[in-house]
Amino acid sequence: MNKGVVIFAHNNRTLDYGRMAILSGILAKKNLDVPVSLITDPFTVDWMKEDGIFEDASKIFDKIIISVQPDTKNIRKIHDGASGDGAHCQFLNSNRSNVWDLTPYERTLLIDSDYFILSDNLNNYWNVDCDLMISKKYNDIIGEERTGYLDKRISDTGIEMLWATTVMFTKNEYTQTFFNLVDHIRENYERYGDIYRYDYRVYRNDIAFSIANHIMNGFQESDDYSLPPVLSTIDKDMLHDYDKNKLTFLITDLKNNYAAATIQNKDVHVMNKLSIVRNYKKILKMEAQ
Amino acid sequence: MSFGYLIVVSDKDDTNYARLAYALALSIKNTQKEGFDKVALVIDDPERIKQYTSTWVFDEIITWDKEKHWDGRSWMDVLTPWDYTVCLDADMLFLRDYSHWVQYFIDNCELYIANKSFTYRDEVVTDYTYRKTFVENELPNLYSFYTFFVKDSLLAKEFFNLNRKIVKNPIEFSNNFLQNYKPKVVGTDESFALSAKILDVTDEIAYPLEFPKVVHMKGMIQNWPYPADKVSDHVGFYFSTKGELKIGNYQQNNIVHYVEKDLITLETINILEEIAWKKNV
Repeated sequence: MNKGVVIFAHNNRTLDYGRMAILSGILAKKNLDVPVSLITDPFTVDWMKEDGIFEDASKIFDKIIISVQPDTKNIRKIHDGASGDGAHCQFLNSNRSNVWDLTPYERTLLIDSDYFILSDNLNNYWNVDCDLMISKKYNDIIGEERTGYLDKRISDTGIEMLWATTVMFTKNEYTQTFFNLVDHIRENYERYGDIYRYDYRVYRNDIAFSIANHIMNGFQESDDYSLPPVLSTIDKDMLHDYDKNKLTFLITDLKNNYAAATIQNKDVHVMNKLSIVRNYKKILKMEAQ
Repeated sequence: MSFGYLIVVSDKDDTNYARLAYALALSIKNTQKEGFDKVALVIDDPERIKQYTSTWVFDEIITWDKEKHWDGRSWMDVLTPWDYTVCLDADMLFLRDYSHWVQYFIDNCELYIANKSFTYRDEVVTDYTYRKTFVENELPNLYSFYTFFVKDSLLAKEFFNLNRKIVKNPIEFSNNFLQNYKPKVVGTDESFALSAKILDVTDEIAYPLEFPKVVHMKGMIQNWPYPADKVSDHVGFYFSTKGELKIGNYQQNNIVHYVEKDLITLETINILEEIAWKKNV
């Protein structure tokens, strides 16, 4: 069974997902030693070419798969640190369920472009006898105090939140049904919002994946295998520096105070996307050495 | 050897416990396999169940009016017609076959009392809002809603004899044993827990098991981020024509102790009756 990592990248006017995907791809390839493919769209590819990074992408990615840029009404505030800086931007995330059709691999690890793999931990999951595994838990980098109820459940009375930041699946009939169901939930997101009582104004893959998993499991929590918890920073933290497999962040206490924290040899979700892009050249240079 | 469930009801003016017992008996007949589906009803006024069309779901109807409300349950060992009994609260529903639980108890126990409960999302209840008496007085966390016992067991006899003394003398026992937090009423859960503690038999009658699994639908223990009086104010109860129950977004497979008595409507009864009739054609 061939296996590999897949990353989606669809640029908007503010965020360069192409650059994020390149960094995420480099680290995944280095630490997992498996091929990595990119799913993107013509506009993002054009920009990558114009920006001079398409060559980097071609070297890193096993395959660059050109798909359609998803249509979206999703507008979200992207923070850049705790000061209130940031931007409102389109969130082009609604085609994640297409991964089943687009992946070139029989066993796929789907990761967000802002997920940095700094260990080989996820290699332990390729051979697990489970067709679909998703992270069930979000671990904030500084602990529970910044974790809210809605990081654990999709609503006050609702089902547990799964984190679609990392998803591993085998291409078969079961997972095809799962991804079709995710797509159906996305198309009827408002209606499912009534049934599952979540805030449907902004589409979230995490919620659609959670509901699909809940339905596929007979409307109950699943005690099947899952991927490890997603260790995460928030977008009010800032990625400050990178050394080989070591990230340094400025971590906020949400009161405009920062403390430095280092993550080494651990996979981490870097929510401050603008700070990833700022560190693009530094990380690329370091990894080229 | 006979096994059966026992339901003891004594109607309060504001609650039709006979209807709840009837719904529970129907759900037992609909879901349990033969040999594990017998039901005995102990009732103070049998006239209250005559209106129902399928009273055959009660294999035994015992008229008994010596105690009122829940105090009658302290006589379960005397009242039961079965050699092996599981005594249940009336406001419960069975949703699948649990006879393998019963078989374990028959093979291994003289007396076993449920010692945990679950939310509708299948989490173990850890909130002690309703259990201050237990925490403050270091009582074992027992739930009388599912009690297995063997009729001729000495352990069970000793336990229920003491339990009856507590129920009859709640003030004396509260003053002596529940000084850290006195409950307004010494209910069956409290008296069971106190009996177990005084006799020092908790490890024998309430050791950790994965079952029985009973979903307890009191509002404050559902692990919600806000206080809730009634569960039905926040999530829906959806009872299908197949007799399946969903609470909120969750399919229920374990015994549901629904607490809110008005959830058992005539429509619910009709659904359960129809399933029972079809099963027995």
